[in-house]
This record gives sequence, structure tokens and C-alpha cells, in this order.
Amino acid sequence: MGRAPPEFPCLTDMDPDRISYLPGHVIDQILSHLSIKEAVKTSVLSSKWRYKWATLPNLVFDNQFVSAAVQDHMIVKNKLLRTVDHVLLLHSGPINKFKLSHRDLLGVTDIDRWTLHVSRKAVKEFVLEIWKGQRYKIHSCLYCCQSLTHLELFNCWLKPPSTFKGFKNLTSLDLQHVTLAQDAFENLISSCPVLERLTLMNFDGFTHLNIDTPNLLFFDIGGKFEDISFENTFQLAVVSIGLYVNFEINQSRLRGGYSNLLKFFVNLPHLQRLEIQSYFLKYLAAGIVPINLPRPCIDLSYLSIRINLNDLKEISAALCLLRSSPNLQELEILARQEEQTLTITHNYCWEDVFFSCPEMHMRNVKIDGISGIKPELDFISFLLLHCPVLERMTVIPVSNMGTELMKQLLRCRRASRQAEIIYLDP
Amino acid sequence: MSETDLAVIKPEMMKPYVWLQTSDDSIQQVEQEIAMFCPLICQEIIQKGMGSSKNCAICLPQQVSPAMLSLILDYCRFHQVPGRSNKERKSYDEKFVRIDTERLCELTSAADSLQLKPLVDLTSRALARIIEGKTPEEIRDIFHLPDDLTEEEKLEPLRNITADPRIRLLNRLYAKKRKELKERERLKNVEVEEEHVDDRSVDDLLSFINGNDGDPKGVKTSKNKKKNRRKKEQQKNSSLKEASELNKKEVNGHDIRHQSSEAEIISETSYLHYAEDDAFTSKPEFDDGDIDDEIDPALKEKIDREVEDFARRLNSDWPERMQELLSSGQERKTVLFTADGFIRRHA
Repeated sequence: MGRAPPEFPCLTDMDPDRISYLPGHVIDQILSHLSIKEAVKTSVLSSKWRYKWATLPNLVFDNQFVSAAVQDHMIVKNKLLRTVDHVLLLHSGPINKFKLSHRDLLGVTDIDRWTLHVSRKAVKEFVLEIWKGQRYKIHSCLYCCQSLTHLELFNCWLKPPSTFKGFKNLTSLDLQHVTLAQDAFENLISSCPVLERLTLMNFDGFTHLNIDTPNLLFFDIGGKFEDISFENTFQLAVVSIGLYVNFEINQSRLRGGYSNLLKFFVNLPHLQRLEIQSYFLKYLAAGIVPINLPRPCIDLSYLSIRINLNDLKEISAALCLLRSSPNLQELEILARQEEQTLTITHNYCWEDVFFSCPEMHMRNVKIDGISGIKPELDFISFLLLHCPVLERMTVIPVSNMGTELMKQLLRCRRASRQAEIIYLDP
Repeated sequence: MSETDLAVIKPEMMKPYVWLQTSDDSIQQVEQEIAMFCPLICQEIIQKGMGSSKNCAICLPQQVSPAMLSLILDYCRFHQVPGRSNKERKSYDEKFVRIDTERLCELTSAADSLQLKPLVDLTSRALARIIEGKTPEEIRDIFHLPDDLTEEEKLEPLRNITADPRIRLLNRLYAKKRKELKERERLKNVEVEEEHVDDRSVDDLLSFINGNDGDPKGVKTSKNKKKNRRKKEQQKNSSLKEASELNKKEVNGHDIRHQSSEAEIISETSYLHYAEDDAFTSKPEFDDGDIDDEIDPALKEKIDREVEDFARRLNSDWPERMQELLSSGQERKTVLFTADGFIRRHA
């Protein structure tokens, strides 16, 4: 079978310079593993390499980019500005990722220009981190950029124009330290139809979280909010929620049978991993705490709860969750250390709180922050009694408790023969 | 072997083979499940049914030499076994790319042609690691790159754009001109303070352009003598000097500025002339007061002509201009733009 003549130089030729003849996308790949600085430096290697860097798909301008040797902020900032301008002008072809994250880059208006430029180049991933200073107002041209699949903003102010119709291709959104109005937030979330990952940290401007987006898989939030609800989020698998404000239960809301716990779980049938952080369990425990959820969380395999073991309501909420998660494999309990103004609850009826439940199938339990109070020990013994396949329980006290706690633990009955109780030093 | 014998033979012996033809036209037999690890080969087998015999061997791309094929097959053989841990695979990969750079490049090319993405990723990372942190000379040395850029082109691309020597020269000239203009402005401003604004109408001034070489209206006749002297001066000096002289003369604020810009766009050569210009030195010959009082009409005419010319150039009425130039009876200096934007004067 004959072979057609080669279309490009055969590598068995005598030309020792092989690397220059690699296909463009391969060179792009090689250069993408270098920092921008190193990649642009290749333009002085030879005539063929003059513009090989110019098709780099990912432009990352971060702290490694401008050498930290020069300490003067103004010089560094000016150098950064000039260089970003340079690189953007000399670059050709579409830009896949644009990341700007430098210590000395304050909210300069050049960012607007660069935003416009990359949005015209069909950028897919846009990351902007303003390390210092006020929230930087994102230029309106970004909201027209329909090519975006990943948007990550740190210390920015988002004010979408009224004509904003959402990001049709956005699958991942990460907003930290942002300001965003309530209606703008709701509009943003509900108008991103393919959104799969949502991260919100330390936000202000909105306090009511109504998450309504059908393809959401991952949800991570930490901040101050008043209420949270999910709608149409039937695929949500991983949720991590931290409520950073110790909200006081509004007594006037105790009308009728409202239950935050029920409301929360009603639209999360396929939850696999759940992390309840800070004061969120307190929020969930508000209102009526059922014994069981109406629909068990059959997919839940990992649960991590930050709990105040002095608060019986929170304990009840946690137990409700445990009872409704038949397939839970791993449990983590982190004790929230409240100020010592709270009364230590000694007088409660154990049975009222810890009444029996179907067997739990956890294999791995970790309890962190024990201070030796009675409810804690009750909780631990409850777990040990009802986990027949438990393999390991790790207990970490908050401070050196002496042997008292250990003595109590030794007394606990265990349902599982293989259970190891590991007592770690604080 | 008879059929019954074949049935007894263990399944491993009956593994299907494919036939692959490498760049040197040699054909070899390779276990199918290993070869299928390469998407291109997979495609050829499934979609086109090739490779089942020596006659319809799959023709591999040009970049795949027998040596490269053997390397690639080693890689595939290791990785297609499902039971290996990530650590094992990583360790194998690290050892795998410890080959000389030439072969590494060849391997990258071959892997890419077979669409074997994991291997392309591995080799490109390895190449990036080689490039990282080295000086251009070192990199050229390692990869046998020709050092064929001129010194000019080898500018550090992240430095100032004005590294281009032509632009540098330009900037120097501009800087020089700017300095000179500033000087002139400074001197002129000193004069301006003492002087009254010329209040001749624009029409009057423009009337000079229409070929009125003689005694213009509104000029003080007592200055005739001076005018003549100046005319002599004019003829003595180059036309360029006049232009520069004018900047010192008091016309009116607007015109001087206009002339400044006019002067600015004069070619470098004229500026170099100006540098040696003795206009400064010739100034004391005249009465200071006189000079500041009036405009030499011929010079004025010249200025206005230049101004209009410039304006016209800006409006790019080329045919019109051409006609004018051709029909003009006066001695005019044609002014043309050159390719790099300078206005050069031709006699």
C-alpha cells in the first residue's frame, strides 16, 4: 500500500529542531503549563516562535506574574497594567480563560477595558479577584457575555442592567465578598438555566435566598441570610451551608406549624453530602422539629453538623436528620462553643430526646470539641447503641479533660463489635 | 491445529491482533486491546474495519515511526490494565518521560497524531518543565532552535513598546521639538505681555494670499524700511528659518499657536536647520519694539498660505489641491506627505 507524500516536514528529516513543528494546539498545551511570563518569553527563541504564544487559550495574571522582587506598589501596579495591555493586544484568537488576581491590583478602571476586550473574544472562564479596597463595580459589558461558563468574582459589586437576561451557558458561579441587590440576585440565579455549581461567600445586599435553578448539583454558601429555600432543585447532590449570624428565633413567627427543617428538605430529594455549619442548625431547628422527615434522605451518605450540644432543640433536629438518613455512612459532629452565658441543661428526660430509632448504618463517626457535658455523653452513647456496623468513632475533646471523659466513654455500651473508639488529644 | 485443539487452547492465545503500518512502511502485529487504547486506531478498526489482516493494515500517520509506536504501545500496555493505583500510574509516567528531548518531541507528535490525549498531556507537561526557568539561549540549545531573530526583533516582549529603534528615534526628535517649542513659547509669552493684540480682520490677512505682494492695507507705511530689510533677510535665510522666526513675531495668539503646530509638523531636517538658526542672533538687529508691532506682510502671506495649505491637507481635497497647485502662478513650495507621515518640503 503506497503512502501519500508527507504534507509537513517528516520528523525523520535531518532538521533537529523538532519542537517547532509540533501542531499549534500541542504548542498551546505546552505553553499553557508555563506562566504567562515564561510563555511570552518564548517569542525570542526563534523566528518560528515569535507568535506561538499569541494563541494561548488561558491568560492568567496573578501574583507569580509580576516578580515580587520590586517592592514599590506603584511600580508593580504600573508594570502589571502595561503588561496586561500588551499581552491582550498581541494575543490572537479566542480566549478561553482570563484570570486577574494580583495583590497590587486595586480597582483600576483599566479592568473595564480588559473586561470588554475579553468578552469580545468569547471568553469562557472569567476570574477577577480584587484583593484590597472597595468593591469593584463590574462593567456592564460582562453581563452581555454569553460565552461564559465559569464566573468567579472576589470583592466585586454586581449591578446587572435591567436588560440582563442571564448567562445562558454559565455552569459555575463563584461569588465571594460581593454586593448584589436582592432582586438582581434572584434574577441572576433563575436566569442561568444550566448552572451546576454555585458558591456564595460573605455577600451583602440580599438576605432571602430562593434558589431556583433546575440543574444545580453543588451548592456552597456561607454568609448572613434570613431564610433559604430551594425550588426545582431536584438534582442537588452536595450542599454546604454556613449561617454566620446567630439569629434569634423570632417568637412572633411561631404561629402555625412552620418548620424550617421540613421546608429545607422538601425539595432536596437526592442530597448526597450535607454540611451544616455555623448557626445553620439553629436556623433549621426553629419552629417544629419533626421526629422524622416525611421523605427519607436515601442518598445521603455524608453528614457534617456544627451543633450546640447544650441546645436540646438542635439535638432534636440532628437526631431527626439521623433517623431520616438510612444510608448514612459517615457522620461528623462539631461542637459549637457558645459563650458560657447559656444554661447548661442538666434536667431533661433522656428518653424524650433520645428515643429509639431504626438502626443507623454509619461506619465512621467523628465528634470534635467535646467538653464533657451530659448531653454530649448522651449523644455519644446513643450513637454507640444504635450503630451496629460502626467501625470507628473518633472523639476529640476541646481541651485537656483529664480522665473523666475517658472513663465515661469506656462505660458506654456498643452495638458494634468492631467499633474502635479513638480518643485524640486536643 | 485441528479445530478441537483450538477449542482447548486457553483464551489468551486467541487474542485478536491488528496490523499496523508505520511511517517506514513496515507492518507489525499488535494486540488489539492495547492498540484500541489509541482513539485513532480504535476509529479505524470500528468504523472502517481495517487492520484485520496484513493486506489491509491500518496506515498510521506520518509521525509514528516504529520506535515511537513501540513506546506508545508500552504506555498503552501499562495503562490499560484497570487494577493499577493512581500512585503506580503516576510513578510510571514520571519514568516514562525521562527520555531525551528530541525523542520527547517526536513522541508528543506521534501521540497527538494518534489522538492519545493522556500521553499528549503527559509529554507536553514534561516539555513545559524543560522550558520553565531557562534562559532563551539554554532553550535554543536544548531544542536546537535556530537563533534567527535580529537583535532588533529580540526585544523583550514585555518591555516598553518604544523599544523599536525607529520609534525611539522619533520620540527623541519629538522630544527635541517639544523642548524647542517650549523655548519659543516662553520667549513669545514674554513678548506677548508687552504687546497689543493685532486687530486686523481675518479678511485683511487673507487678502494677502490672493497674490497681493505689494503694500498691503493696514500696514504702517513707516515700516517700509523694515519690511525691505526683512525681505532681504528672508531671501538670505532659508524659508524654514522664516517659519521659525514667525513664531517669535507677534501676530495674534491664535496664529502663533497655529504656527507652532505648523512648525511642529515641519520635517526633521528643517528642525535641524533651526537648531543652527541665527534668527535668534539676528533679532537684536531690529528694534525690539518694531518687530513686535507688525507683521511683515510677505511673511504673513507665507504664514497664511501655509495655514491654508495645512487646512486643506487635513480635508484631503486632493484633486482640488492639485488643480490649485498647477494653476498657481506664485512660487509655492509643494508640501507632500511621505509614507511615514512626515511632511517634507520640496523646493
